Amino acid sequence: MIRRAALGVLVVLATRGAAAQALPELRFDAGYASVRQPGFLASDTVRAVDAALLALFWRRPADRWTLYSSANVTYARDSLAAAQGVMALVLPWMDREHLRTDVGAAGATFSLRSAGRGGNGNLFARQHYVDDAWGGWGGAAWGLTARDGRKSASIAADVGAWARWRFLFGSASYARLSSEDLPLLYASGGTSSPYATSYEFEDVQLVLTARRGPHELAASYTARRAVAGTDDGAVALSVNGQLQLSDRLAFLASAGRQLSDPMRGLPEADIVTAALRVSLGPKPLPVMERASLAEARVIARAGGGGELVVRVAAHDTLAVEVAGDFSAWRPLPLAREGDWWVVRVVLPPGKYRIGVRANLGPWRAPRNVARVRDDFGGESGLIVVP
Amino acid sequence: MRQLRSATTIAALVLASATAAAAQQPRPVALSIADARTRQAVEREIARAEARGLPTQPLVAKAMEGVTKQASGERIQAAVASLAKRLEQARVLLAPSTSAAEIASGADALAAGVPGAALKQIRAAWPADRSVVMPLDVMTELVARGIPAKHALEQITALMSRGATPAQIASLGSSVNADVAAGLAPDAALEVRARGVMSLLPSPAAAASSAPAGVRPPR
Repeated sequence: MIRRAALGVLVVLATRGAAAQALPELRFDAGYASVRQPGFLASDTVRAVDAALLALFWRRPADRWTLYSSANVTYARDSLAAAQGVMALVLPWMDREHLRTDVGAAGATFSLRSAGRGGNGNLFARQHYVDDAWGGWGGAAWGLTARDGRKSASIAADVGAWARWRFLFGSASYARLSSEDLPLLYASGGTSSPYATSYEFEDVQLVLTARRGPHELAASYTARRAVAGTDDGAVALSVNGQLQLSDRLAFLASAGRQLSDPMRGLPEADIVTAALRVSLGPKPLPVMERASLAEARVIARAGGGGELVVRVAAHDTLAVEVAGDFSAWRPLPLAREGDWWVVRVVLPPGKYRIGVRANLGPWRAPRNVARVRDDFGGESGLIVVP
Repeated sequence: MRQLRSATTIAALVLASATAAAAQQPRPVALSIADARTRQAVEREIARAEARGLPTQPLVAKAMEGVTKQASGERIQAAVASLAKRLEQARVLLAPSTSAAEIASGADALAAGVPGAALKQIRAAWPADRSVVMPLDVMTELVARGIPAKHALEQITALMSRGATPAQIASLGSSVNADVAAGLAPDAALEVRARGVMSLLPSPAAAASSAPAGVRPPR
């Protein structure tokens, strides 16, 4: 009862905290999950259970940083209850446009028929290098789990790289994890070496994502190899997708295996989910992916006409385009200039409608110009060149 | 998903002669839309507009915008037909103006919510041989900013009557934009900026005496 109350408080606090500030982005997911967890013995295997999913995501971008937090709850009566919360700060470097640092903390509480009751907390930091069409990262995390009264520590480090080609986004990463959480290993169907007090393994993960506008389909493959304290390895394959139904509504689905995660204290499980995502904030669902902010201004020229300057603050966006009457609605790419994506077009006097999009997402009006409906269910920005 | 289907169905739109800067009456354009029904419907709409003496370049641009935005074929047809209707309305309201640019600006003004009567008043504020493109465009921008059409019309026609140049009227729009972006209420920004432009203009009496024949006397 106390734990359920704590879960409720977590969700309420997250909601209140988000509502108390300006809300650039607030998402709410609700749906269904079928979860099957293996056990140490075949008889321990927990049959697939139906669970309810509830998740909240909030993000606030500012000029020099982005703060985001998320919370989610999975609940299936007495066999499974888990709640997680994450708070992180994304910090672009002031003088190095390609560098970005993420720091954050996460916490979880769980009550699992297969893996006991307890809670978990971890701290993480990750350094990114972000170029136009590729990037990489390196990070580390440290976590502490209390499970059925027993405390255990876990530590992890990972490196990875990503690349984008047209609508495809691929990444490869290597992670090494060490944990004292032996009950988690057993709950995931693994065995430990005699007298081992901890175990280590390494993961290689490949992810391929296809994006088309706001729609997305991703497949992930993970190969786990035992390094010390256990002989057990594993492979996992999962797919997930997002279908944007309208500006404020999306359908999400996923299926596949999730390997045990000592950092979050969660055991291996086969999971199938289906959920609806609703945008609750004033800003519709991904207007421009990541921390994007577009503005357009006209610098008047002596003798008439002017230079249209469109710029977009999107530290980790992969491609930005502008189109309008001036380009016969053919998309023009923006180029990176410091922290901004920028394009300059010299225009004769007149009125022009204009749209901007990031990562092949929806076309939107720059935030600082007048907006008019575009006859296609969206809107265009409107500028007048003197 | 519909957008994806549309993107594959409507493979490409090739424009034989269409540039945004081409304000004069364009020649017929060759459209290449993979979906034959959509292409033919859009071509018919453009041909009808041309036969009625309406500018066709805005219709081509609207179709191109729809393709770029991955709109469905039906939506592109509807958007082009709707714009053709607005062009016709604008031509009637702006008579005796016949320039393609004025008719196109009038149609855009109607789309932004500017009342038809306002177009007539703007046309009447200057002689028929003087283009009202810039006053129409600034009016459209102000209304799109959320300024009541009546208020915007009063300020713009007052400036026109006082002999403001198109550049001065354009500067009103850009100043209001800058103020609104800085956080000022659109209405208040227009009031202040219009007064500023007005102070640079000759007095009503001087404007009336120096106005070319045919200019509507200031109120």
